[in-house]
Amino acid sequence: MLKANNKLGIIFFPAFDWAISPTHPERQERLLYTQDQLREEGIFDIEGVEEYKPDVADIEDVERVHFCFPDVNSVTTRSHRISAGGAMKAADLVMTGERDCAFAMVRPPGHHAMKVVHGSRGFCNINIEAVMIEHIRETYGHKRVAIVDTDCHHGDGTQDVYWHDPDTLFISLHQDGRTLYPGSGFPQELGGPKARGRNINIPLPPNTSDEGFLMAMERVVMPILEDFKPDLVVNSAGQDNHFSDPITNMNFSARGYAALNEMLKPDIAVLEGGYSIQGALPYVNLGICLAMAGVDYSHVREPNYNPDQIKQDDQTTAYIEELCRQLPKLYFDPPAFDPKGDSRQGVISGNQFIRHKQIYYDTDGINEVQQESLTLCDKCRGLYKVETRADSGPLCLGVEIPIDACPDCKSKGYQLVEDGLIKGGYRYVQLINRKDKDYVRYGF
Amino acid sequence: MLLGIDVGGTHTDAVAIDMTGDAEVAASCKVPTHHDDLLRSVTEALAAILAEVDKDAVTQLNLSTTLSTNAIVQGKTEDVGVIVSSGPGIDPHNAMPCKDFFVIDGSIDHRGNEVRALSARQLERAVDACRENGVRVFAAVSKFSTRNPRHENTIRRMVERAEDQEGNPLADFVTLGHQLGGALNFPRRVATAYFNCSVWRLYNDFVTAVESALEEMGLGHVTVNILKADGGTMPLSQSRTMPVQSIFSGPAASVMGIIALTDIFHDSVILDIGGTTTDIAVFAEGAPLIEREGIDIGSHPTLVSALKVLSIGIGGDSAISVAGSGTVRVGPNRLGPSVCLGGTHPTLTDALNVLGASAIGDVDKSAQAIEVLASAHGLSGPDLARDAVDRASETIYDATRELVEEINSKPVYTIHELVEDKRVVPKKIYVVGGPAEAMKMDLFRRFQLSTEVPENYGVANAVGAALTRPTWELELFADTQRHTLFIPSLSYRENVHSSYDLEDAKKDAVNQLTMQLDSMGVFLQPEDAQITHASSFNMVEGMSRVGRNIRVKCQVRPHVVAVLGGR
Ligand SMILES: [Zn+2]
Ligand SMILES: [Zn+2]
Repeated sequence: MLKANNKLGIIFFPAFDWAISPTHPERQERLLYTQDQLREEGIFDIEGVEEYKPDVADIEDVERVHFCFPDVNSVTTRSHRISAGGAMKAADLVMTGERDCAFAMVRPPGHHAMKVVHGSRGFCNINIEAVMIEHIRETYGHKRVAIVDTDCHHGDGTQDVYWHDPDTLFISLHQDGRTLYPGSGFPQELGGPKARGRNINIPLPPNTSDEGFLMAMERVVMPILEDFKPDLVVNSAGQDNHFSDPITNMNFSARGYAALNEMLKPDIAVLEGGYSIQGALPYVNLGICLAMAGVDYSHVREPNYNPDQIKQDDQTTAYIEELCRQLPKLYFDPPAFDPKGDSRQGVISGNQFIRHKQIYYDTDGINEVQQESLTLCDKCRGLYKVETRADSGPLCLGVEIPIDACPDCKSKGYQLVEDGLIKGGYRYVQLINRKDKDYVRYGF
Repeated sequence: MLLGIDVGGTHTDAVAIDMTGDAEVAASCKVPTHHDDLLRSVTEALAAILAEVDKDAVTQLNLSTTLSTNAIVQGKTEDVGVIVSSGPGIDPHNAMPCKDFFVIDGSIDHRGNEVRALSARQLERAVDACRENGVRVFAAVSKFSTRNPRHENTIRRMVERAEDQEGNPLADFVTLGHQLGGALNFPRRVATAYFNCSVWRLYNDFVTAVESALEEMGLGHVTVNILKADGGTMPLSQSRTMPVQSIFSGPAASVMGIIALTDIFHDSVILDIGGTTTDIAVFAEGAPLIEREGIDIGSHPTLVSALKVLSIGIGGDSAISVAGSGTVRVGPNRLGPSVCLGGTHPTLTDALNVLGASAIGDVDKSAQAIEVLASAHGLSGPDLARDAVDRASETIYDATRELVEEINSKPVYTIHELVEDKRVVPKKIYVVGGPAEAMKMDLFRRFQLSTEVPENYGVANAVGAALTRPTWELELFADTQRHTLFIPSLSYRENVHSSYDLEDAKKDAVNQLTMQLDSMGVFLQPEDAQITHASSFNMVEGMSRVGRNIRVKCQVRPHVVAVLGGR
């Protein structure tokens, strides 16, 4: 009988009763064939591989991360909270040492969900990796975490959530934003003034195949991880880079995904996108499970796999080689923040970093405008404030006192909330105080 | 009159149950099990019963036998040619159960589409190799055969066409993986098909011998069923092609016996203390727990469904030994019968005799033997006996706690439903088996829980065997895009219309189950067939629905046909 080198926990939550709409790519059928494949392979009979039930994320688990307006219940369903709870369960298994690593195969996904949530973007409502990571930090102490996002789409939500966090390294490999939703994820997006170089984007050209992905992993991701020395590595494991995916244009294979995970050795993988539900997901998910468990995956192959047909051309290879030469510098020696630059990247005025954003929630058809600001403090990572309005809805306020807040920033945070309530004209106000685990919302 | 015979590791127990009024035990007996001649054990038990009841009144015999289990445990099985097609996935050689194992190129996917045809050339070579190795029984297994059995059928046709050197048919028997059930799990399907073949000849010889023995004893008119590990029976004729289902049916007989003998409502622990082993089962809210997927045979997980039972090496015949340090041990060895019954080495039963908890056989002999062993280690006889019984109850207690912990840490299914987020907290202990009464007070002190020993505790397993009804389950898959309906365990295929839906599927599943049991001579009350799983998924291509993927599981759950004592 097979024995795993690493004790792997698998959390499976296919949300068989939840869909955006009956024919939407993110629908009930999505993990059906993956479940069939895993069962038919007998993967849970491998010694060392165990299946677990997901937990359910509480309102507080979400409020620790997001500013949800009007509130968490309005922007999530039970499925969203089980999906996040599945990721939390994966984290608990690893953090308590019950498992060496864990893979949360859950839906709906989360990596397009930003710090502020008014609805669904790119099929995502809440950021399940972020909910998981902040659950880890709240429960097991502060950790340095590296998130490697291997979904074909730029993980713009995760980028946004961790934009100002120097202890979270976010690396996103994705199809170049000039050719795919959400249209972001360029190398110059490096993180806020307090976290420069902690956000690394690797935009790959369409039709990149195994060779290009593994080259970027080897030459960019792995050296950066080695330097960052994270306590935990998380793979935000979207599978829509697959050559058969209907909504993207990449040429990654199941074996490529497995090899990537063998190299990355994530402590926790969390499923994100992937919409080739018959031709890719069963094989890619199987490959990742085997790679994480340290079991031979060389017999995993898609029915229509033909490496020659999907091989990237020389021009693509040359382009990626050049990317691999330039990108590491952005982490190891990031250019200083330009305080008077592009206002979408943010400007500095006095001791305030200020950024204006317009966000479109494509799934729900909502337009949001927001202004975020960060107090640039010498003693902590700074007080975060966001004013936001969805379409012509009411103005809302979010304030976050960071986990390492100095007394000054902390009292300023409470002051901001009080001022906001008295004279701000905000319909909803939410406070996230990570330092004292105090999560409060006003306005019902 | 219903007869039940349970061929156990030490004893063969038999009962006759009179069904004319309230079900009552009309006769019962215990004879020694002859391991090299199980038929003799069966006929001796039958003879003892027929001395007390009228053979013409007997209508049914349910038989539980260790034959297949023993053959596998002792490695007395036949070589099997296992021919598989796996397609992509985990290397199929990890599921290799024996040396004559052949992987043929070819692939079927999760929807049941043939992605790649079976390589006829490789298949031919595999059959040739089996012929050279003298293999006569074959298992044909393909991945996703429960969605489309095409490759298994192809392998069977090829094997059945093959001839041996003398020009006779090469294959005496072929097992097809999909007929073992509809569950997805290729490695388990391989192992189950392999074991089914490996004991096939031995088992069929036994069945033939039982049939002629019954004829000779004037019981030719009796319906004979075989116990399965899932707490149900199957007709003898059907068991000929499914011998693997008879494996580990002994513990199931005791569990079903408990159901017939007592009223269990709470979370409970069932202990069946036999001669060599104690079987431990756990009931959640009055219903026995079952293994999630199937039992392990040897180190191989299989698809053989079973009640969840833990066997440990403690029984009345367990030998008592004393380690150098003066530590008393009981079991797991058995060195012949107890001294009080003519054996040479003191046992747990002898210790219970010494303590006055029982008075079996020659009690003085028990005392002498215990005294001899005790003085050799500087102990007193009664102290040694006390230590031995303590050790036995402690071992049973520890194993029970471990089992309950395991059950609570992982989801398991009850016969009724999945116990979700429920912890099993035993509130009562039921003890059956020969030493049950003698061990009762010790177990009560150890568990600190209400402890009951029901009437007829000595032959509870045979009662369970006698009163167990048939079980059967099937899974139905329909794919309205491919216009197919398939019930793997029946090899039943049908074309369905695009409008076929979940309600149609549920109806068809129940109908097919009823018809199947009917053909086996089993009459089913409509409410006995339960739908245990039903799901339907819209399949989408592009932006439109192209069909439905429907899965329905239907079963007759294990139960007894009557309970004893007019309850
Ligand atoms: Zn994506
Ligand atoms: Zn500060």
